[in-house]
Amino acid sequence: MSVPFSGTLRRSGGIVSAIGKQLKSVNLKGVKRITVQFDPFAENVKSTREFLFLLSTPKVSLSNPKCVVKSDIVCDRSPAFIKFALIDSAQEKAQAKEIRFNSDNLNTLELLELCNKHVSTLAPPEEITNKVLTKAEKQKLGGSGGAGGKKAPKKK
Amino acid sequence: MANLIQKGLPLTSARTPLLQLMRHRGKINIQRPKEPHYERARVVAVTQPKYPEPPKALTCFQSRAQRTAAQLENPYNAIIAREVRNWLDHSRLVAIFHLNSITADEIFRVRVQLHKQNMHLKSYGRKIIAQAVTGTQYEAIMPLFHSNHCIVFSPDQQRVGALLRLTRKVPQMVLLGGIVENTLLSRNELINFAQLPGLQSAQAQLVQTLNMAAGTVVQQLQAHQCNLVKVLDVHAKGGSDAAPTTDVKETNT
Repeated sequence: MSVPFSGTLRRSGGIVSAIGKQLKSVNLKGVKRITVQFDPFAENVKSTREFLFLLSTPKVSLSNPKCVVKSDIVCDRSPAFIKFALIDSAQEKAQAKEIRFNSDNLNTLELLELCNKHVSTLAPPEEITNKVLTKAEKQKLGGSGGAGGKKAPKKK
Repeated sequence: MANLIQKGLPLTSARTPLLQLMRHRGKINIQRPKEPHYERARVVAVTQPKYPEPPKALTCFQSRAQRTAAQLENPYNAIIAREVRNWLDHSRLVAIFHLNSITADEIFRVRVQLHKQNMHLKSYGRKIIAQAVTGTQYEAIMPLFHSNHCIVFSPDQQRVGALLRLTRKVPQMVLLGGIVENTLLSRNELINFAQLPGLQSAQAQLVQTLNMAAGTVVQQLQAHQCNLVKVLDVHAKGGSDAAPTTDVKETNT
């Protein structure tokens, strides 16, 4: 009598690979400006600071070069927050001008998950620019129209 | 001739001992050793080493990794902690920055510019800083090191302006706070400190304020006389409308 298999076939890589996986899908195209405010001497600021660091990595910042990341340091023990100011098309989609995360009680992985859930989905879809045709593709397109005319000079 | 010598002196004869060659062509057998003789086996069994096992109660719930790994504190950490403590004690200005993602090239450029102003950019691990700082007067800076950071030390505290000017050009360095003359300052307080006038001008202002008390009394006593002198000067230069005011002044004095 054998028990049917239950459980995972692969082990998870831990929190670091989970963070890496979330980072890969972060898309800031729908964001105009990010403001990160925290009090460095307060408790629970570690996740905010880590999130700020991850936003400044080249991979994430290249997803939207126009997006500015601003960090405000305050000294009045106010709770830390992260504000995403959205671009116009994203504002229509989300029915809101900006999205705010109160990051005092969230850890880095949760912040990234929320960011992917709310902010990355608001990125406008990419428009396909003019595709450069290769010679073979051009021939295929043109050859079906004027097969004789095109092939005759070539056969010389 | 040689034989004759050997027969006469038996001690000089050197005979080679009986040699039995054990190894031929270099391949020896170690994988299938011969079973030892009973006597030899008895001696081997008796002389096997016996190692003491730790009492089961202590190690019962520990995993194998925990049982086998014995982590020792690296004494190099203590040396680096002492260096950090030294830097903290001997620099009158310490500024702590949050460091975002930055290329080595850029941080090197910043380090060189700071070095030209006699400021030293350094970075240490959180555990080492904790070791250096807990129990001392610098314990309050501990919460600043939870994430990627760097520290700038300077032996003179007049360089805050230069430091702020240089780091304003680097968006990845975010000033968190600092220590100036054994006083912990937040970011805004550091910026205000940079905008304060220098020590000499502050001393001059203090002297001026102290002298102002006596100065005002003297000024008030001399006010009427000075006014009269001024008015007479104007009158002497040939002002006709100074005449009625002169009469008023003369009746007052």
